Amino acid sequence: MSSIVAGLLLAGGLFFILVGAIGVLRLPDFYTRLHAAGKCDTLGMLLSLVGLMVYEGPTLNGLKLLLIWGFILLASPTGTHVLSRAAYRVGLKPWMREEG
Amino acid sequence: MTYFFLIASGLVALKIILLLFRVLRGPTIFDRMLGTGVIGTGVILLLLLLGFVTGREDMYIDMAMAYAALGFIGYLIVAKYFERKGDIDG
Repeated sequence: MSSIVAGLLLAGGLFFILVGAIGVLRLPDFYTRLHAAGKCDTLGMLLSLVGLMVYEGPTLNGLKLLLIWGFILLASPTGTHVLSRAAYRVGLKPWMREEG
Repeated sequence: MTYFFLIASGLVALKIILLLFRVLRGPTIFDRMLGTGVIGTGVILLLLLLGFVTGREDMYIDMAMAYAALGFIGYLIVAKYFERKGDIDG
């Protein structure tokens, strides 16, 4: 039973990871690609890690997976924010749709 | 279940290959750093899945923790460096 739940969570996480990777590849501008990488990819990683935690069970390895989960939850959006602020301060202009 | 983890690690490897195009092509330096950062999180997941495939998950979970910490620190430091440098192209 727990294997089925773990498999479903892992499949959902992999779906979001692949969609995020395609988004980083196809979106038109750096700031839009940052949306795909920071939000979609992080969500995919967190779902996959929850799936692995359900598969592992309440052991020491499960606790270590919970620590990795918490670390990615805090660190990935922070890294995205630092990168975006660095690009803005250097002077990278966002992509605007042409008028008319 | 082992075969499912094997297919999953194949899909994560596909993600890494897709992101290599962004690292190689990206017009600004920040695009390349973004691609490298996302490849880093992909490597964390790949390490964990391979740990479950080979059955030695204790070792691979520790490796994934160390890689996550180092990858995050390096990401921040390189972003700070390119903010100071102030040059976008390349």
